Amino acid sequence: MKKAADHTKPKRYGMVIDLDKCTGCGACMVACFAENNIPFKKDESEKLLSITWMRVYKLSNKKKYPDTDICYLPRPCMHCEGHEGHSPCVSVCPATVTDYSTETGIVSQIYTRCFGCRYCMAACPYHARYFNWWDPVWPKGMEKMLSPDVSVRMRGVVEKCSFCYHRYQRAKDKAYVEGRTDVEEEEYQTACTQACPARAITFGDLNNPKHKVYELKQDPHAFRLLERLGTNPKVYYVSSREWVRKSGDNYLKHEEPGHIATKH
Amino acid sequence: MDSALIPKGVQRCSLGKFTLLIAVVGAVLLWGVYAMLLCWIKGLNQTNMNDYYGFALWIWADLAVIALGGGAFFTGFLKYIVGKDELKNIINYAVLIGFICYSSALLILAIDIGQPLRGWFIFWHANVHSMLTEVAFCLSCYFAVLTIEYIPLILENRQLNKVPFFHHLAHNMHGIMAVFAATGAFLSFFHQGSLGGVSGVLFGRPFGYREGVFVWPWTFFLFTWSAAAYGPSFTLMCTKILEKASGKQLVKDNVVDLLAKISGWMILTYIIAKIADTLYWALVTAPARGHTLMDFYSNNPVYGIWILVLEIVLGGIIPAIILVVPGTRRNGYLRMTAIILGVIGVSVNRWVMVLQVMAVPVMPFDFWAMYYPSWQEVATTILPVAYGIILIALSYRYLPIFPQEPELNPVD
Amino acid sequence: MKIDRRSFLSLGLGVAAGSVLSPLPWKLTDDLSIWTQTWPWTPVPKDGAVHYVHSVSTLCSGGCGIQVRKVDDRAIKIEGMEGYPGSDGKACNQCLAGIQKLYGPDHIQTPLKRVGNRGEGRFAPISWDEAMSMVAEQLKKLRTEGKSQTLGCVVEREYGTIPQLFKRFAKVYGSPNFMTMPSYLDGYEQIFKIMQGEEAIPGFDLENADYILSFGSGLVEGWGSAPRMFQANSLWKEKGVPVVQFEPRLSNTAAKATQWVPINPGAEAILALGLAHVIIKENLFHYDFVNRYSARFEAWEDGQGTEQKGFKDRVLDRYDPRYVSRVTGVPSSQIEKIAREFAKAESPIALCGRGAGHTPGAIFEFHAVHALNGLVGNINRKGGVWALPKPDYIAWPEPALDEVAKKGGDTPRVDGAGTETYPAASSLTHRLPAMINDAEESPIQVLLVHGANPCYCLPDTETVRAAFEKIPCIVSFASHMDETALMADLILPDHGHLEKYQDVPAPEGLSVPVIGLARPVVAPLYDTRHVGDTVIQLAKAMGGGMADSFPWKNYEECLRKTLGQHWKTMEEKGWFSPDFSGPDWNEAFETPTRNFVFIPERYGKDTEEAGVSPIEVEGDPITFPMVMIPFDHVRIAAGPVGNAPFVMKTIEDTLLRDKDIFVQVHPKTAGKAGLEEGVLAVLSTPKGSAKVRVHVYDGIQPGLVAVPRGLGRGSGDEFMADKGVNVNRLIGPVEDPVSGLNAAWGIRANLTIA
Ligand SMILES: Nc1nc2c(c(=O)[nH]1)N[C@H]1C(S)=C(S)[C@@H](COP(=O)(O)OP(=O)(O)OC[C@H]3O[C@@H](n4cnc5c(=O)[nH]c(N)nc54)[C@H](O)[C@@H]3O)O[C@H]1N2
Ligand SMILES: Nc1nc2c(c(=O)[nH]1)N[C@H]1C(S)=C(S)[C@@H](COP(=O)(O)OP(=O)(O)OC[C@H]3O[C@@H](n4cnc5c(=O)[nH]c(N)nc54)[C@H](O)[C@@H]3O)O[C@H]1N2
Ligand code: SF4
Ligand code: SF4
Ligand code: SF4
Ligand code: SF4
Ligand code: SF4
Ligand SMILES: [Mo]
Repeated sequence: MKKAADHTKPKRYGMVIDLDKCTGCGACMVACFAENNIPFKKDESEKLLSITWMRVYKLSNKKKYPDTDICYLPRPCMHCEGHEGHSPCVSVCPATVTDYSTETGIVSQIYTRCFGCRYCMAACPYHARYFNWWDPVWPKGMEKMLSPDVSVRMRGVVEKCSFCYHRYQRAKDKAYVEGRTDVEEEEYQTACTQACPARAITFGDLNNPKHKVYELKQDPHAFRLLERLGTNPKVYYVSSREWVRKSGDNYLKHEEPGHIATKH
Repeated sequence: MDSALIPKGVQRCSLGKFTLLIAVVGAVLLWGVYAMLLCWIKGLNQTNMNDYYGFALWIWADLAVIALGGGAFFTGFLKYIVGKDELKNIINYAVLIGFICYSSALLILAIDIGQPLRGWFIFWHANVHSMLTEVAFCLSCYFAVLTIEYIPLILENRQLNKVPFFHHLAHNMHGIMAVFAATGAFLSFFHQGSLGGVSGVLFGRPFGYREGVFVWPWTFFLFTWSAAAYGPSFTLMCTKILEKASGKQLVKDNVVDLLAKISGWMILTYIIAKIADTLYWALVTAPARGHTLMDFYSNNPVYGIWILVLEIVLGGIIPAIILVVPGTRRNGYLRMTAIILGVIGVSVNRWVMVLQVMAVPVMPFDFWAMYYPSWQEVATTILPVAYGIILIALSYRYLPIFPQEPELNPVD
Repeated sequence: MKIDRRSFLSLGLGVAAGSVLSPLPWKLTDDLSIWTQTWPWTPVPKDGAVHYVHSVSTLCSGGCGIQVRKVDDRAIKIEGMEGYPGSDGKACNQCLAGIQKLYGPDHIQTPLKRVGNRGEGRFAPISWDEAMSMVAEQLKKLRTEGKSQTLGCVVEREYGTIPQLFKRFAKVYGSPNFMTMPSYLDGYEQIFKIMQGEEAIPGFDLENADYILSFGSGLVEGWGSAPRMFQANSLWKEKGVPVVQFEPRLSNTAAKATQWVPINPGAEAILALGLAHVIIKENLFHYDFVNRYSARFEAWEDGQGTEQKGFKDRVLDRYDPRYVSRVTGVPSSQIEKIAREFAKAESPIALCGRGAGHTPGAIFEFHAVHALNGLVGNINRKGGVWALPKPDYIAWPEPALDEVAKKGGDTPRVDGAGTETYPAASSLTHRLPAMINDAEESPIQVLLVHGANPCYCLPDTETVRAAFEKIPCIVSFASHMDETALMADLILPDHGHLEKYQDVPAPEGLSVPVIGLARPVVAPLYDTRHVGDTVIQLAKAMGGGMADSFPWKNYEECLRKTLGQHWKTMEEKGWFSPDFSGPDWNEAFETPTRNFVFIPERYGKDTEEAGVSPIEVEGDPITFPMVMIPFDHVRIAAGPVGNAPFVMKTIEDTLLRDKDIFVQVHPKTAGKAGLEEGVLAVLSTPKGSAKVRVHVYDGIQPGLVAVPRGLGRGSGDEFMADKGVNVNRLIGPVEDPVSGLNAAWGIRANLTIA
């Protein structure tokens, strides 16, 4: 396996999400819950205590009727590259629970190593990390729905979107068995991408010119969330509406988005 | 009844009265222990923390007590390294307070983490890039040093000291205490700094983030400096409280004055640095990330600009001036006011650097996250206070903490 | 050995040092941490062989193709089925969470008999034999008493073998009272009858349309088949197809549309006629279609030989944009602009059916909107509106009817559908409660309910409950506990949606006919029985002619025989698409003139005299100064089946917080009533009142109170039950005088601080 990896160029898996297409339906959230054995409680309306690796935020242009406009913004983990892999969360975790893979660009999380200090949550400006405040409980019989691909997390640890890493492993195993060194674009797709009924999410290797994301991320209307912080996220958004693009970052009054240098 | 244990040449209240005090404080302690057990057994759902607000009341308490416990290392540094010999009259108490603060801090961390039984992974799987790793190592080591500094004090108890082994052990430990004090000072400089680094390195949180030198953000240095500056003030405050409680003067005025003066000058220099840091942050660091200063202090029910004024002016500039100017410093009331303001100032700083960091929205479409502690959090935060009072009471009663006490309060 | 203080202390120190140096504490520390990683109460999912099963969802009328990922015999995830018509590889949030319905706690596990008071929810398990004989006895008794027409059946939709088995059962039993639940499709059904002379269901070729006018349809809020609509919406974005949404509230659809045009609620029909006015006046209509294939566009002679104004003149006379602008609140300049763009587009489509289409609306609205499609000639054409033949693959032999059946069958329906008053209607189920309540003795004596949840979904749920209390015997075939099952005397639970074979006709709104096959993904978990088998067995138990009309051994045999040669294709592929090429315009219409009729016979007079005015909603404006409108949200299922836990988890905290529902009001409306964001308030309407929280929202017309549909479930699992308010409790039906359909789009209301 090691060998196979050596033969392939380092990948930077990432997403481009078309906010013009996203309808805010939440199918990506549900697909993620089902794919990743995410627990559910009787009350999930307190969003700050609700584990949603993928969370669809609702943005507003804050204008008065009838000029009001809204837009939905799905937010998985951004798998921030930071500066040379120093993602905000990776560099702070004292127990090396979370790591930036230079092979895939995926920020990992080892639940059984995490001891729950929550420093990484403080570090992540996207609130992509969630703490297991409770023991996860499935009503009697419902544990039948659990997927063996993803371990169930115990109380007291932090979890987050993995870019469905188990799907990458599956694809890699398949490629290996078939004597290939690389996985094809369509072989590794995340559950949310696969589910999105609006086909708003595109997933692939940002480094690979043959992957759709490569092209899409260069859209003049593409932007990333909070680029100015230097988090260097690998999730791009596209919107034809200027106010939406402007909602992607903080700007001083006189500043115009797009005029501020950001690296791609 | 327990007179055989009480140091020679000092007077202590009756055992009954003492027991009553311990019982009352002990009840509070038990309440805290109950809350602590709830957090361990049922998990952190017992708190009002949430996914936006992952650090809360007790982490503030943790940082605050470590800052306030800074009196131990800095007084030690002054006595053993700089050679301010008068401070030997207060160093025992400073060490005791330091010991309490640091043991409390460790206890709080053990309650705070979601998986206390895996807490040691921080050492086993240590990530050298993490400020928290640095904190954990230094904190543990420094706690060991404080323990070593505290042990000879215990051994000086009248009865224990009769055991020749303990007598010699205490004697020898005193002999090499300068080494420990130096080690402690070094460790302390570091971990106070790492604690400052905890929020300073969060480049995803413009409110907490600071630029700096090499891997250390400015907050690294500011935390060390402020702990050194305000720690002695806290030692003095605790001394004053104990004096009030016992109705006796325990430390001579010249010692108090010296420590207050040093604290004053440290606060003064610190606050100048802090103002410079704040200006650079407000004018350069934050705007580069699209924020104005007032973004951090408006549109929320709690965090107004008042908090910055409280921290810097009331908790910094004013106490610095009072303590630096000899006239005001020698006025007992003003000195005490300055000391209290200072203690508030540094506590507010620690609050701001952990809790306000959590509260400020970063994504433009996000909102201020407000939080209030659950009773379990309050109880577990008070727990160390109760524990501290008990340990001080026991130490004061049975150990010769204040060398000047017999001289100042001769027993007929 | 003498133990003195010193040796004791040394011993202590020795022990301490020894244990620290020994491996014991380290081993223990390590074991403890390992224990935290394998807590016995944290489940470990079992591994096994992975495979996929294709099926079609019966969770809602969307009827999308799904694939279920299985590990050994456990179903673990539902995904979309690639290539399935319409949904093509996608499923919406409800289906994606569908596994939770299978394994969830509200799956009914055995036949139940009511033991408490009706609606109290106390049931005792009984055996299938006992349950079946109880129902059979009741039915036999009624029939012998000559009251066969008092049997009622309520199902969700008419198509497919399961509803048809019920329909056949009622027919041979001797009752005309086979009813379906209301939806916007009822409006289209009547419109096709009266404008095109066809028994048809609507198909919208949205993928090929190049201009979309939506009169309040929640195109991305559950209207039609959600996954298909989302994909269509994205396709529009890619192709730059303009989408204009007329709606008083900035819904998700409005936000996605190219243009959101706020409109006074209830004025959609008038707006459509205003657009028609511009199109006619500016000669932008489709000459060929209008001149050659339509009728009554120009003046015409009625049966008495009197000349009547044609559609053209009526529209020109009455629906000047200035007037329309005043009634609708849409500026006349915008009306003109949109009308021109619409008419000039290649394949423009006008759609209606408010929100997700749970209520039909006024027939004038359907008429006016469909007339727009007629004006641009976009009927039965690529990118247009299609009248699809009702599914005809169910070709069972006509059953022989005995005397009782004939007599009972000829009595008028209780809901008035198909009677002289409402000839074009096939079901007016919303009228049933009032009919029962107004009668001395309930005209329905035994009610069979399958797949529908009238006690939750019909307007004015209190009245519905009261009516159900009067029905002597209610039998529910629910597979999951719902509000109607709670009111039942007997529950004969059907298998769950992943446990059975079933044919699933056409994904709603698709422009090609499709029949899908739902199949058992897992063996039934509990002591449930396929509802098809239950009906067949009941018929057999009735004996005589009834038994003969159900000649199948069981449901599977019935289904296989019905599908005949297609069964194999469906088993392999999951669906089958009957050949369909729409007829040309000269053959498409089956009206007496074989034309598309702009002014239907029945209400020609009404329009002439009264004009089309907005449907007035119930309530007096003094007591109720505001107007409540229900709205659909894609993350809240408002149909018979409520949200699965995962979907509950996605509901925004501006819609539901703990148990409190949020209603949306404009800042001005809130200000006037002294209400602020998040406060508790009392929402009252002529039908009742409820405690709600206020969400101040800029995207809603002042004066309105918008309430999400689908919450306030009185049953189901702890994840959804008793959260929020069922908006159907606060709103009543408003009868459309022409069609009999429920035309209510809102109700007058008041919102005051609690
Ligand atoms: N060019 C142009 N066209 C317009 C307008 C415009 O400004 N310019 N305005 C538009 C507007 S705002 C409107 S409201 C419409 C009005 O359009 P119409 O409703 O067509 O109004 P009138 O032209 O006043 O015609 C009404 C008819 O009703 C008859 N009538 C009067 N009283 C009664 C009665 O009691 N019973 C019956 N059965 N009949 C009665 C009258 O004799 C008359 O023939 O026109 C629209 N069309
Ligand atoms: N004498 C007499 N009086 C009558 C009647 C009558 O027949 N005779 N008819 C009555 C009837 S039925 C009616 S409906 C009323 C009609 O009365 P009004 O509602 O006053 O209608 P109009 O005078 O046709 O035009 C309204 C104004 O809207 C402007 N306007 C046009 N398009 C737009 C737009 O897009 N945006 C905005 N903001 N403004 C626009 C026009 O320029 C015009 O100034 O009059 C009533 N009064
Ligand atoms: S599934 Fe697609 S359309 Fe729905 S919320 Fe997620 S990204 Fe948006
Ligand atoms: S989004 Fe947050 S959790 Fe994910 S890599 Fe970035 S900082 Fe880490
Ligand atoms: S909570 Fe876990 S992952 Fe996060 S920083 Fe702490 S140990 Fe690392
Ligand atoms: S990539 Fe996978 S883990 Fe991440 S949000 Fe999407 S479904 Fe969830
Ligand atoms: S529309 Fe209905 S059938 Fe289709 S995916 Fe959604 S819930 Fe399932
Ligand atoms: Mo008018």
